[in-house]
Amino acid sequence: MIQIYNVSRAYQKDSSALDDITMKIPKGDFVYITGSSGAGKSTLLKLLYGAEKPNRGQILIDGQNLTRMSPARISLLRRRMGVVFQDFKLLTTRTVFENVAFPLEIQGRKRYEISKKVYQSIKQVGLEHKLQRHPLELSGGEQQRVAIARALVVDPLVLLADEPTGNLDPEVTVEILELFRGANARGTTVLLATHDREMIRRFPRRLIVLESGRLVDDRTP
Amino acid sequence: MFERSGFFVFRALRNMRQSPMLCGAAVGTVAVALTILAFFAIVVLNVQKLTRHWSEDVQVVAFIDTAPEERLLRQWIADIRGLPEVEKVEFVSSIEALKRFKKRLADDADLLEGVDLDILPASLEITLNEDSRNRVAVSTLVSRLRQNTGLSDLRYGQEWLERFEAFVSLLQLAGAILGGFLLFAALFIVANTIKLTLYARRDELEIMALVGATPMFIKSPFLLEGVLQGALGGGLAVAGAYALFQLFLRQGLDSLLLASGVERVTFLPMSWQLLLIAAGVLLGLTGSLLSLRKLVRI
Repeated sequence: MIQIYNVSRAYQKDSSALDDITMKIPKGDFVYITGSSGAGKSTLLKLLYGAEKPNRGQILIDGQNLTRMSPARISLLRRRMGVVFQDFKLLTTRTVFENVAFPLEIQGRKRYEISKKVYQSIKQVGLEHKLQRHPLELSGGEQQRVAIARALVVDPLVLLADEPTGNLDPEVTVEILELFRGANARGTTVLLATHDREMIRRFPRRLIVLESGRLVDDRTP
Repeated sequence: MFERSGFFVFRALRNMRQSPMLCGAAVGTVAVALTILAFFAIVVLNVQKLTRHWSEDVQVVAFIDTAPEERLLRQWIADIRGLPEVEKVEFVSSIEALKRFKKRLADDADLLEGVDLDILPASLEITLNEDSRNRVAVSTLVSRLRQNTGLSDLRYGQEWLERFEAFVSLLQLAGAILGGFLLFAALFIVANTIKLTLYARRDELEIMALVGATPMFIKSPFLLEGVLQGALGGGLAVAGAYALFQLFLRQGLDSLLLASGVERVTFLPMSWQLLLIAAGVLLGLTGSLLSLRKLVRI
């Protein structure tokens, strides 16, 4: 599903955010990417959803070379990906329903199809009774659930999450983790960047450890 | 495809409704710039009517000391009419010339009592066609006349022609400079207004890019927004120019033109009005394009 070959990314001349990373992530895997702040977790995810390009190396997603794609083709690839962020990135002027429907509107799906899929996705995250609320009317945990619903509504091949529980309480973290597990159980490949050891301990899965931009460990429990 | 177009138009209109102040600023700026341009165009167009009227006076007069026989005269007229610069040729006999002179003298015409009827020379008044009413064409015609017909006593108001051409060139240059400056100013303001709109919507744009909207999908509503703002501005400019024309210009230009024997002052013709709206559309579109180049990145 995801193949990364000798990827490096530097923002300045003498400091690398990522240094010669090579890894393979098969379809259906659930992978934690961990490390301290500045280890390169977020940079790796940005490379995977095409927000940045590596200075060296290749990235293949579902057989397509991301590093050689035009912006338009990257956009099309993103329609098959879901991305979740620490700060939720929801549209505050739109309702829960409209936020989750957004990716499907972008894809030009028909209205009845959008309604059906959006309702399904919101139900999966347990917010079907808050369809018409706006994000600022929800708690942090609820907002993150909306963000996850938006990521899952497109039936993504891969779900990328960058510190999705960074702003949330421990109890809420567990609920969010359950949603990712549920998505993975349905066949979605999940990459979750986190430095939350408790989460990793509670639900052990393959662990990739980054340190100062280098891959220092890659183990499966 | 129509559904998508409808989607983009909907989003463009929604963007405009959500930021009425910014939208108003852009529309207003385009309207003001184009109104000033239109105002200037009305003045130029009507003054050009005047200068065209003046240019009808651009003639070459060939004086003939001794009137030739009928056949030769007809030959001369035919030869001259055949020249590319010539619109018409009129023979003015000595008697006719004296009649005209008496008319000009009006109440003082009796000064010419007792004067010989053939005291004034006969002449050929040669009117040039519109394209040839300039110094170069007149010089060419004069050389041809001297060569082909043997006419030597040719008068053609050289100095007046030069001044007339200089005046028209200055008018055109002033129009081009002022017009260019105004358009540039309007473009700059429209671009910055769209840039502010984009900045206010940057969160939405970021999310659109993240969920797979192509760059053209993201840009299209903003391009349309620029086009709509420009079209509105252009339409307002036509209305504003008409209001200014009725309230201020008409009276001023009317007295100038009527005094010179030209028909009444007119507003911009329909083609110019449509051109004004098209200029607004182009301004809005260009402003959007300039702003979008930098702001929308994956």
